[in-house]
Amino acid sequence: MSENTVIELKHIDKHYGNLHVLKDVNLSIKKGEVVVIIGPSGSGKSTLCRTINRLEGIDSGEVLIEGEKLPDSGKELAKLRSRIGMVFQSFNLFAHKTILENVTIGPVEVLHMNKTEAEKEAMELLKRVGVASQANKVPAQLSGGQQQRVAIARSLAMHPIAMLFDEPTSALDPEMINEVLNVMTELAREGMTMVIVSHEMNFARRVADRVVFMADGELIEENTPEEFFEHPKTQRAKDFLDSIKK
Amino acid sequence: MNTYTRTVRDALYEEPGKKAKKQIAVATAISLVAIAVFIFFIAKAFYDNGQFDAKYWSFFTKYTTWRFIANGLVGTLEAAFLAGLMAFIIGMIFMIGRICNYKILNRIATVLIEFTRGVPTLLFIYFFFLIVPQLGINLPSIFRISIPVAISACGVVAEVLRSGVNAVPKGQKEAALSLGMTESKTFTKIIFPQAIHQVIPALIAEIVIVVKDTTFAYVINFPDLMQNAKVLISNYDALLSVYLVVAVIYIIINYILNKISVAIARRTQTSPVITR
Repeated sequence: MSENTVIELKHIDKHYGNLHVLKDVNLSIKKGEVVVIIGPSGSGKSTLCRTINRLEGIDSGEVLIEGEKLPDSGKELAKLRSRIGMVFQSFNLFAHKTILENVTIGPVEVLHMNKTEAEKEAMELLKRVGVASQANKVPAQLSGGQQQRVAIARSLAMHPIAMLFDEPTSALDPEMINEVLNVMTELAREGMTMVIVSHEMNFARRVADRVVFMADGELIEENTPEEFFEHPKTQRAKDFLDSIKK
Repeated sequence: MNTYTRTVRDALYEEPGKKAKKQIAVATAISLVAIAVFIFFIAKAFYDNGQFDAKYWSFFTKYTTWRFIANGLVGTLEAAFLAGLMAFIIGMIFMIGRICNYKILNRIATVLIEFTRGVPTLLFIYFFFLIVPQLGINLPSIFRISIPVAISACGVVAEVLRSGVNAVPKGQKEAALSLGMTESKTFTKIIFPQAIHQVIPALIAEIVIVVKDTTFAYVINFPDLMQNAKVLISNYDALLSVYLVVAVIYIIINYILNKISVAIARRTQTSPVITR
């Protein structure tokens, strides 16, 4: 393992009953790297993304965050989770809190930051993702694209060492997808380490340092986006790319 | 009919057409007449029995009668408040036992919830009235009514709270955990505040039951509204008039509770977060 590896997955196996959803998956992600995981639905890519901060448990294998083994439970797990941002398909903003509170709750409750300071920083982040004017509304009053940008701000408020995006644009109306992708592109440019599960091939091509192709719980192919999209090595990857071509 | 006052009926049935409207008007008229006739015959039966004689009603003009009823009302409200508070606290504990990660606690809580829900309130009251004093424990009379009523309600409260917790989308918990909150912080800061909003109407419905259950106070001679009503009845030999007045008071209490419930439900209504 090189020194600047942020996330490392070693021999991850997972079953849902008889279904083998992750088959001996190995993956390591370097600091500042943007990795996009693609693959047909049901291939285990979301599950893989969620094992990184143990929202999904694993049967065997190891998850290492900056070389430290991710614990099974308890305060230590919470502490490691706090260092990894996560953005969900369905946004999952706290429905009973205002936009501002959604962004400050992590720093205040987990990092024990002083509230005024947290609010100041939260406003900066909201400005950065372009929803500062909505700070006092509740999530239900915002559009999907706005909610997802708030969710990104909420994660950033924790100063994460890496961020996970689990199909961040799949629940959005087409006209809102770009506003979220733009924020993500900006983050990638600033050097954030990112793991993204996505169906946005153009985005993957533009932003990814590496594309990981999964099918049936297996990691089939990894490559730079140019190589992967132009010259896929495996038949399954070829079939998948053909199937999504218009 | 505008869209802002959609009732359950609007949601279940389509808007009636011309013919249906006519039918509804006729059916309404017939029912009103039937109800009027029914009330007339009941009133006539009472009149023939002399239930409207002055001797059954005149004592309601006395200040002391109303003071006595008011004392009973205070007793009822005290017992109901105490019982409701205890039911909430015990129900909360049962609910946490039921949903926590320890299998043994889950089972114990499930058994206790089923037990408290399954046994009639009156049996718990007899237990605290007849058995507990034999054990050498002498509780003040207000506890002899409020503890059993609370026990009888706490299982339902636990299940109502649990249904609220289950109704909070799973993503809320995942988002909180991913921020690094511990399980307990996730519950107290994110899950429970949303759960309680959803179940306030159901909890208030349970308080109505608690208020009604306190009428068992007559069994143990605790001076609640019902017990004082019985005293008035034997003093003035006036059954119907006293029960009628007392019934109206109970209806008013529970009507107010229901109004509060509706008001809270409306105020705290959080429309669902847009997720497709």
